[in-house]
Amino acid sequence: MTTQFPPGIQLEKEDERIMTLNIGPQHPGSGHMRLIIKVDGDYIVSCDPDPGYVHRGEEKMAEHRNYLLNIPHLERPVIHDSCNILYPYCLAVEELLGTEVPERAKYIRVIASELNRCVYTMYWLGIYGIFLGHSTMFMWPMADRELLIDLLEAMTGARVTHSFFIPGGVRNDVPPNFEDRVLRQLSYFEKRLKEYEDIFYQNPVLKSRTEGTGILSREDAIRLGVTGSVLRSAGVDFDLRKKEPYDVYDNIDFETQVLKEGDSYARSRVPYLDMLESCNIIRDALTKMPTSGSVRVKLKPNPKGSADEVYRRVESGRGSLGMYLVSNGTPQPYRLKISVGSFRNIICLPYLLKGELLGNMPAVYWSLNYWPVEADR
Amino acid sequence: MSTIAPKFRLGHFIASLTDNIFWGVVLFTLIGLPIVFIVLFLIELPEIDGKLLSPYLAVTYIADPSRTLPIIQSLIQTDFFKIVAFPGFGFAALIAGATIFIERKFLAKIQLRPGPFYCGKVEGILQLMADGLKLISKEIIIPAKADKPIFWAAPVLFVATAAAFVSLIPVAPGWVVADLDVGLIAVFAIIGFFPIITILVSWAANSKFPFIGGIRALHQMVSFEIPLILSLLGIVILTGTLNLSEIVASQAGIWWIVFLPIGAIVFFISILAELERIPFDLPEAESEIVAGWLTEFSGMMYGLVQLGSYVKLYAFAGLFVTLFLGGWHGPMVVPPFPEEIITEGITMGPISIKIPGLPLFSQEMLNGTLWFVIKTMGVIMVILLPRGVFPRIRIDLLLHVGWYKLIGLCFLNLFIALGLIYGGVLGPEGFIQ
Amino acid sequence: MGSSNSTKKPAKARPKTKRKASKKTKRKATKKIKPKTSKKTKPEVAETKPEVAETKIEVAETKPEVAETKPEVVETKPEVAEKQVPEKKPTEDLPKFEKSIADRIVSSFGTKAEIGYIRPNRIRINTKKEDIVEIAKYIRDELKFDHAESVSGVDYPDSKEIEVVYHLGSYTDPQLSKQILTLATRVPREDVPNPGKDNTRMSSLRDVFFSVEFHERECFEMLGVFFEGHPDNRRLLLPEDWADLPPLRKDFRIKGR
Repeated sequence: MTTQFPPGIQLEKEDERIMTLNIGPQHPGSGHMRLIIKVDGDYIVSCDPDPGYVHRGEEKMAEHRNYLLNIPHLERPVIHDSCNILYPYCLAVEELLGTEVPERAKYIRVIASELNRCVYTMYWLGIYGIFLGHSTMFMWPMADRELLIDLLEAMTGARVTHSFFIPGGVRNDVPPNFEDRVLRQLSYFEKRLKEYEDIFYQNPVLKSRTEGTGILSREDAIRLGVTGSVLRSAGVDFDLRKKEPYDVYDNIDFETQVLKEGDSYARSRVPYLDMLESCNIIRDALTKMPTSGSVRVKLKPNPKGSADEVYRRVESGRGSLGMYLVSNGTPQPYRLKISVGSFRNIICLPYLLKGELLGNMPAVYWSLNYWPVEADR
Repeated sequence: MSTIAPKFRLGHFIASLTDNIFWGVVLFTLIGLPIVFIVLFLIELPEIDGKLLSPYLAVTYIADPSRTLPIIQSLIQTDFFKIVAFPGFGFAALIAGATIFIERKFLAKIQLRPGPFYCGKVEGILQLMADGLKLISKEIIIPAKADKPIFWAAPVLFVATAAAFVSLIPVAPGWVVADLDVGLIAVFAIIGFFPIITILVSWAANSKFPFIGGIRALHQMVSFEIPLILSLLGIVILTGTLNLSEIVASQAGIWWIVFLPIGAIVFFISILAELERIPFDLPEAESEIVAGWLTEFSGMMYGLVQLGSYVKLYAFAGLFVTLFLGGWHGPMVVPPFPEEIITEGITMGPISIKIPGLPLFSQEMLNGTLWFVIKTMGVIMVILLPRGVFPRIRIDLLLHVGWYKLIGLCFLNLFIALGLIYGGVLGPEGFIQ
Repeated sequence: MGSSNSTKKPAKARPKTKRKASKKTKRKATKKIKPKTSKKTKPEVAETKPEVAETKIEVAETKPEVAETKPEVVETKPEVAEKQVPEKKPTEDLPKFEKSIADRIVSSFGTKAEIGYIRPNRIRINTKKEDIVEIAKYIRDELKFDHAESVSGVDYPDSKEIEVVYHLGSYTDPQLSKQILTLATRVPREDVPNPGKDNTRMSSLRDVFFSVEFHERECFEMLGVFFEGHPDNRRLLLPEDWADLPPLRKDFRIKGR
């Protein structure tokens, strides 16, 4: 075939230049998913994300358990952001059952949810660091994350799978002296975040290789329906904590972090700025929290909702996380659809990767704030 | 009941042991001894105390401790020892091992963690040995459609090339394996082998990720070899020689890094790229192409490549020291060998022993080696440092740096060197020399 | 020798355990067989379906009408609307902004669009599957809802329908950022599904809302609703060789539940 032509100079078919790469599911740069990437030289021609390697049918499982039994398995998709994935579920079930949550429980929920957001983002940041070959940025967040996990352990009793939020409040009250401990930990945490800024975000090599890669324009971001940090880095000011304040977020002073560039650098920076903002939220919530009071409403055993449907959403670490709960009057949900941020963000990956260098693939891919297990549910 | 060895009998076990011993003795007498004698016959044996060292004499000398040292001394002077042990491969491998240990602890300290901690009780000093044992005991898997002879040969070739590179580095005055008049040219020639090996491996592995990694390595090494060579031209102009030992000798007063800092910086960056160290580790970029051209290596084949790359690291650091940091030069810190031991011997109570052949190494050699090792380790530390600080660079930026910026700086460096000569600062009529 | 011993022991033990097990597990085994067969062999699915339908009716007695009024989509919808009627009567309770949006849709489409419910921040519009693209275009262009948050399918085996629910939101209009517009339609459901080739299909909204691309793919594999006009109707989460029922249908049983 190619005997007439010296190889590499002129090829008989255009296709022969193209090489298909299977990035994943067994690949250090893929997570639990597969990206079928076609490259022409070092340029990506097309990308086809193929999730589903960790699909476990959470939605089907939820149809066979009652509202309380659903809690432990629903947090499995994102074990390091488990409070936030249970949040919309609890809100939806409360709306369905007509339960009113005590004031103190709402504040505890906000604190736990923000702490968990930091835990998740630290994990994400560590992996982003090692994806770019920055091993220090892998080790530091992983170590500093432990301190926040310790806080959550003192609060909930478990390190990652907390099962802390339940319909009607939270499972238990915070331990004594919790406030001091949180404040001490937060001041250390903020000090460390400043150092991350120095070594990672202001790093000239990092800036040179992530700035201007994988640009998602504002219009495309809206059209593709992305969410969370990906959306906010493209210049759309949309944070559900501000826009649709659930629980007590309307009482708390904070700002949403929006960047305009829409490139990988901005996408990776928004979660970091969110963490700084989370510290403020926790501080504010601690001052405004009622000092005493019950933290949960006892539900009836095996509660039944009316035949109705509810859609509730919260801002999780990866963006809007919605739960669509349909009930037919039985103790089990008739249908529970989980609409997760990861799944909505991965839609834009083929468009971002087209025409990029292969070396940009990890930077663009992981800057989408993507968690494969959550996307697969 | 577990049946690990179902047919175990103690008698059989003992019989097998005796069997093995018997066959060992038989094979040694039939094959080993003749080989030893043939080798001894062929080797040009040294003369000691006016007598030619025959095998018989050697055996008697070994039995007498006072006569052992001359043999060792004569052995040290042979090329074989130089290649295998001291300035050659053994020394380099030792420093490579030390480098791996230092890298791990050093990086761990940057990243606020203890690093290797348990193996060997003291700060995980035996971790490397454990890793080596693990690699040796692992199965070697070769891709089914690989080009097997090349694939097998590649790790060995890689280590051999690195060892050849080491042989050109002068460690102490007179202590160099190959003291060539074209030493620097030989260095460039040997460096040129590495991209060939990587591209051979990546083609022979017949797999996609090694292929991309090999192509990347080829691009990177070729584009950085040019600034690497050009940055050293300044030194060649100033010294007027290509012999590495003479270049070191010319730095007795002032090191070349003082006059040619730009050349040193360019050379250092090119070293990082040639070594595939972290800002430039694209050929092994983990998150993009698994392990690059090393993807299909397993077990000790991977271990050999790693050994080779660390030996290469030592060689490049040594080259930097040789060319820019004054090689073995440094203040005399090693105390002179006590005179009375040579003249009067060691007296221990009533007995006094006079040992011929002392001192084994001269004072200059020990001092030079010490300074060389200190400087080399310093350079190695600086080479390791970016790994804790920088992320990986992208291929287009890398090529841009190599072809535009570094080559431009090289010419600037060249002009500085010429200016130093024509300005009368250096050179035969300059006021410094 | 040692090896021969080790093999003998289990050989002796085997018959004993068999006898015991066979006695004990006979009842269980017969029970377990049913769900297995219902999954894998298609002709039997049809046989087991009546049972499923019966049990559903017994449990869900609150909605007996749904089972009876099988004929068409149109007839079920008024009931849903009627249910909301008691809530509607104190009209001051209805949030004004949401009502204005819903009224705009109803006024421009008349009987094609039907208000499911109006609650704070949530509006539900029911349509027929033929009209959904038209209404979705109107919602996008006139009402400024610009993206879909999720596409969920809900299986209603009693009324032989699958409901496809689009949750639409808006990023551009700050007034609408709280709102979720639920656009629902129903497609016919077949007892023996043949995803992609049977009657369970509707036109895709991908040309209207780009963001439904993966969601519709997921809905296709999980419930067998084929979206006509979708450019990429492949499996997403399930393995490529999945030959069973679409797993989120109600007649796909989980073992032990």
